[in-house]
Amino acid sequence: MKPEKLFAEHESFILGTGFILVLIAVWESIPLWYTLPRGMALFFTTPSKIAVAFSQLLLDGTIEKHFWVSAIAFLAGLGLSIVVGLPLGLIMGRSSTLEDLLDPYITAANATPRIVFLPLLILWFGIGIWSKILIVFAGAVFPLLINTYVGVKNVNRVLVNVVRSFGANEWQLMKIVVLPNSVPYIIAGLRLAIGRAILGVVVGEFFGSSQGLGYMIASAATNYKVDVVFVGVAIFMALSVILTLAVKHLESRLVSWRPETAKTF
Amino acid sequence: MNAKAFLAEHRRFWLGLCSVLVFVSVWEIILTYIFPVNPFFFTKPSLIAVAFKEQVLGAKLWHDLAVSSQAFIWGFSFAVIIGIPVGLVMGWRRRVEYSLDPFLTALYASPLVALAPLFIIVFGVGVLGKAALVFLLAVFPFVFNTFAGVKSTDSLLINVIRSFGGGEKDLYLKVILPSTIPYIIAGARLAIGRGLVGIIVGEFYAASEGIGFAISQAGDTYRLPDMFVGIIILSFIAVVLTEFMRKLELTVAPWRASDEVR
Repeated sequence: MKPEKLFAEHESFILGTGFILVLIAVWESIPLWYTLPRGMALFFTTPSKIAVAFSQLLLDGTIEKHFWVSAIAFLAGLGLSIVVGLPLGLIMGRSSTLEDLLDPYITAANATPRIVFLPLLILWFGIGIWSKILIVFAGAVFPLLINTYVGVKNVNRVLVNVVRSFGANEWQLMKIVVLPNSVPYIIAGLRLAIGRAILGVVVGEFFGSSQGLGYMIASAATNYKVDVVFVGVAIFMALSVILTLAVKHLESRLVSWRPETAKTF
Repeated sequence: MNAKAFLAEHRRFWLGLCSVLVFVSVWEIILTYIFPVNPFFFTKPSLIAVAFKEQVLGAKLWHDLAVSSQAFIWGFSFAVIIGIPVGLVMGWRRRVEYSLDPFLTALYASPLVALAPLFIIVFGVGVLGKAALVFLLAVFPFVFNTFAGVKSTDSLLINVIRSFGGGEKDLYLKVILPSTIPYIIAGARLAIGRGLVGIIVGEFYAASEGIGFAISQAGDTYRLPDMFVGIIILSFIAVVLTEFMRKLELTVAPWRASDEVR
């Protein structure tokens, strides 16, 4: 095949990866054509040094140790937010009184960066795993709750009336109509929740912590080990991208039969 | 209007107000009569109110707010100045889109707050470090929302401009930018939330002034009422800013109100 045709066919892929590769190459070559002043050199690192640091930390088990601490906080916090956010969102969508009662708190908590509660959580629950789990929970629960609630609100009235006319009770109504209809919203909420949960893990481990990838980043920065900072950042980046893609995949699997997908954010 | 109709009309407001009042009074009653409060670990609304009055009348709170908002405004302004043009070009030039999209999407999806310690160490604990962090977090919603806005521009309008001999500049200023504005406002709402995260994390990490510093310092010294005052004020600011953006969004583009989830 002619090169031009090959390029035209895979243009987006070539340009996309090409740009990233060029960026990495430029970054790598900065020390070759420019001698950084001593003050700057302290903060500077190159992709190859980051790769070396990564393999070292991987081989001596540091990454594995910190990774599991972070993963447990992430999974427990996200799990808790699903267990709380989903049912509450479903109930709020069905009961307008409860919705009105809880609305002030949810509006306020959703607008405020939940990170502000971190000092409070550390004070109450100590610097152990619980303050991390709860900060992850505080971040992840609102997107789930709000999206579930909006999904329930947007259920087709006709379907609800049909199922009611055939004598379904509230529980059956939930199972047959409401829940399946809210799935796209819930998945979209889950996607947002994952991002917030990772944010919670990172920041939660920055402060008052002695383990976890966030701690690894913070302590490396304090010791001017910039390459280790980037190793941590790269791990978080990779995890976020993988998880986001996984949820998007799930979304397209579950929502493919729908004429249009739920729009969120 | 009789009282019943009035209540029914503003049901949402009254129920919300009642629930907050009940919550606050239950909190106060439980900690006054049932479990007497241990001021090191918990606090009650009356103590928070006293602290609130003290803080509002004092100078430190206002100084902290001024310091934090200075960094926020710098970072946010640069996010607007850089983010919107990048989004415009990305939306309009296909090859720019192909080149930048994977890179920027990866950055948008990842928790860039993880770079906070590095930013603070490189740029210092002053305004610059925090502003850089706010910029880094707030720029992506602007890029991607502007991008989405350009993509959804009506191609008929573009053809009209072209037919009447309009140049590239006319296209940008007369069609693309106006039809993108609702998207940009929606992006601004997201950017505010992310920018606030940047300010708070930056100040938690290392600072000597600012509202985030005030909150974490109050926590470190077990001054719970002061900490709650900081949190309440920050929530208030966040709610006002995001609600303002939501109203602006509805005013500028009422037709988008239905297909958007908060």
